[in-house]
Amino acid sequence: MRLNMGPSHPAMHGTIRMVIDLDGETLVNLDVQPGYLHRGFEKSCERGTWAQVFPYADRLNYVSPMLNNVGWALAVEKLLEIEVPERCQYYRVILGELARISDHFTCNGASAMELGAFTPFLWLLKVRDWVWDILERETGARMTHSFGRIGGMAAPPTATFKDDVLRVIPEVHKVVKETEIMLLRNRIFLDRMQGVGVLTKEQALSYGVTGPMARSTGIPYDVRKDHPYLVYDRFDFDVPVGEDGDNWDRFMVRLEEIRQSVRIIEQAIEQMPDDGPINVDDPRIVFPEKSDVYTTIEATIAHFKLVMEGLRTPKGEVYSFTEGGNGELGFHIVSDGSGTPYRVRVRPPCWYNLAAAREMLLGGMIADIIPTFGSVNMIGGECDR
Amino acid sequence: MPKFTLDGKEISFEAGETVMEAAWREGIEIPHYCWHPGLSVAANCRMCLVHVESGRQMAMPQLAFDEAKGEYVPTTKPKLQPACQLAAAEDMVVSSTNDEVKTAQASVQEFLLLNHPVDCPICDQAGECKLQDYYYEHQGTLKRKLTEPVHKPKGVRFGPTIVYDAERCIMCTRCIRVCDEVAKDHVLDMRERGNKNEIILAPGRELDHKYTLMTEHVCPVGALTSQDFRFKARVWFLKSAQGVCTGCATGCNTHVDYDPRNGKIYRLRPRDNAEVNQFWMCDDGMMTYARHDTDRLLMPTVGRGEERVPVGEDEALDLATEKLNAVEASKLAVVLSAQHTTEDNLALAKLAAALGAERLYLAALGGWEGDDILRSEDRNPNRAGATQAVGGATLKSVPDLLTDVQSGAVQGVLALGWATAEKLEELAPLVALDGVVSLTSHVGALPAVASVTIPVADTFEVDGSFVNAKGLTQAFPPTLSPPADIEPAWKTISDLAGKLGKDLGFKDLQGLRQGLVDAAEAAQ
Repeated sequence: MRLNMGPSHPAMHGTIRMVIDLDGETLVNLDVQPGYLHRGFEKSCERGTWAQVFPYADRLNYVSPMLNNVGWALAVEKLLEIEVPERCQYYRVILGELARISDHFTCNGASAMELGAFTPFLWLLKVRDWVWDILERETGARMTHSFGRIGGMAAPPTATFKDDVLRVIPEVHKVVKETEIMLLRNRIFLDRMQGVGVLTKEQALSYGVTGPMARSTGIPYDVRKDHPYLVYDRFDFDVPVGEDGDNWDRFMVRLEEIRQSVRIIEQAIEQMPDDGPINVDDPRIVFPEKSDVYTTIEATIAHFKLVMEGLRTPKGEVYSFTEGGNGELGFHIVSDGSGTPYRVRVRPPCWYNLAAAREMLLGGMIADIIPTFGSVNMIGGECDR
Repeated sequence: MPKFTLDGKEISFEAGETVMEAAWREGIEIPHYCWHPGLSVAANCRMCLVHVESGRQMAMPQLAFDEAKGEYVPTTKPKLQPACQLAAAEDMVVSSTNDEVKTAQASVQEFLLLNHPVDCPICDQAGECKLQDYYYEHQGTLKRKLTEPVHKPKGVRFGPTIVYDAERCIMCTRCIRVCDEVAKDHVLDMRERGNKNEIILAPGRELDHKYTLMTEHVCPVGALTSQDFRFKARVWFLKSAQGVCTGCATGCNTHVDYDPRNGKIYRLRPRDNAEVNQFWMCDDGMMTYARHDTDRLLMPTVGRGEERVPVGEDEALDLATEKLNAVEASKLAVVLSAQHTTEDNLALAKLAAALGAERLYLAALGGWEGDDILRSEDRNPNRAGATQAVGGATLKSVPDLLTDVQSGAVQGVLALGWATAEKLEELAPLVALDGVVSLTSHVGALPAVASVTIPVADTFEVDGSFVNAKGLTQAFPPTLSPPADIEPAWKTISDLAGKLGKDLGFKDLQGLRQGLVDAAEAAQ
């Protein structure tokens, strides 16, 4: 029997369609068809300034927009050959790890919910809301922050930033523990997760799979560890890996990564200076203070140039990559020396992860599509761009 | 040719050329304010300072801050030289980008902005201002001066066309030199020194010669603004197309700046062409764009005076056909236009030939003063092109036409364009004729006496060419689309020919242009 699932189906994550050939309840063939959420991200970047890409980048993996913001900022900064002040690097790390925690909360919570365990989902999202409260206080928005800036951040940390983060950390630990108690010895959950949706190490490598999905197969690749950026080389943290590459391993890797993110945050908070600049000191890259713009010609011109023509990057191209929520998030950008990107290519981790989904699902049961596809964690905004 | 090296690149030069000129010819811009390729060298802005790294080094004493000692100590730095005044020499090695030069450029730029007012938001130059560009490229620091800037006169009326703002002025003297050297009229000069410096008018004079807008054109900052363009548009909304001035037979090359959002032309700027206008245009030429959207004919009309009524395109063409058919070919006058493109005139000449009408006239504008700078004696951009269109045959004038009408030799008229030197009263004899068909972009005396008028596109809306007084053919693309249902005259003429049952032998512009080549060959 041939069955169409999606693109608008209550159990599908995001807008995606699957054409399924069934023999009884077994999947004999499968065609995964992404593309329903294509919004022309890369093309859109080619009009407007480098800085105007931030709102678009927010909407890539919209579950952890801060990671995309920082990823984009780092790419353009690499082109400009500048480095943001240390305080900003720590700030970016902490905000980014908070975003990663909320990303994994969402993915694992939804996985449990789809197998009938609604409670952990609500618990995890309760704490995610508290994490988002911090992000909202810092950036003004819960989800699409548009908070990154080339050469810094839109605003310095608020006075209560460190306290706020430290206050939410016990809650994160607590909810992870509660989730474990609730799920890890639940027979139904174990049966649906263990040995289901297996991805082998070889498959993961051949598809270019990265992130928690690759790590669940035993590949210890983490951009933060292998190609440290910002100040990640200053932190002591582990890269959790699985063995079997099944749903269970992916679930457990994400759960452990939440703990590791908390470790990073704790160290970063300790090391982060309390004062000092957040933005690079160059009015040709970062907007001067408004009070200067209104009273001095130099700042007026800098402001005018940044708004009307955008900051200018040197001619050339760079590939800059960071560890996003789902794996290696890369920006390959080409500059013709003007204030507008000439070409932007995104390496969305989901795109490669999704490519492996067919092999993971084939031969399985139709009901397993839901937890397996859930643990692939395809995010349409990022996958389809 | 001898060569010198600029920033590692070999540049050839002719004897007597400066480093700046040679680089400029190669398409390399050494930052500058006061230098202009069409003007003499002033070397006063100091933005083009370069370091001659070859030869004996000249050193300048200076005080530099010594971090270790914590005080200023006497030292030397290389003496930099203005590229605009530095004669290029064989094997000279010049740097316009080394640290010494970069420091100098940043310092000069910072100096020029010392007392500059915070005017960008209200300044017409913003967006095409060299102070802005060079700030971003060469300075990039915030203000260090904490005191109130020096204030100078603002909004000074220099004449009917130009307003001066002394606070924005960087005293490059380009405007003074353009008056002296292009307009040959020493009407501007500067007074005082230091930060009291300002540009002034000669006593008892206004800036009122025929090239005043060139002062605004050469001004690298927003100190001189044109009364006409002032506060009308922001330049970043404007797009630019290439054009040829319709002001006179010189055919100066122009940039036509228009706003694509509303299809309005805001200004012309001279486009450099060493063969025609070098870098300049006259004021009247600069203002020819204003004609584009004033007094346009947008609907075909039938009837004269009080009885004139708008009609549809087809109806107008049918009526024109009827009226032209009623006239014997030998008594039909075909009037070409020295204001229309060669293509339009050629189409009309072809129609005349197809109809067998041999009475050809040329309507042209008069009332114009030439000079020995740029302005031609002839106010019409395309008299030569119209003549080419008829294969060099003699074209009679409008007064001849009036005589022929009065003598009864002409009983019908098919006229192109609105432009005649003659006023409405003088054209009165034409009112006696029933069949006077006018194809025109604007209203005017000639359309006013016509019994049928059909609108056509104007110069800014067509792909065409002019032949200037020197016989140089200059093609230009359309800047804008014509208004709804209006086509270039050659197309309308072709439609009219269809109605008259004549085949003009071309289907599109390319075919028509082939006819132009043939006509030119026939003329030789």
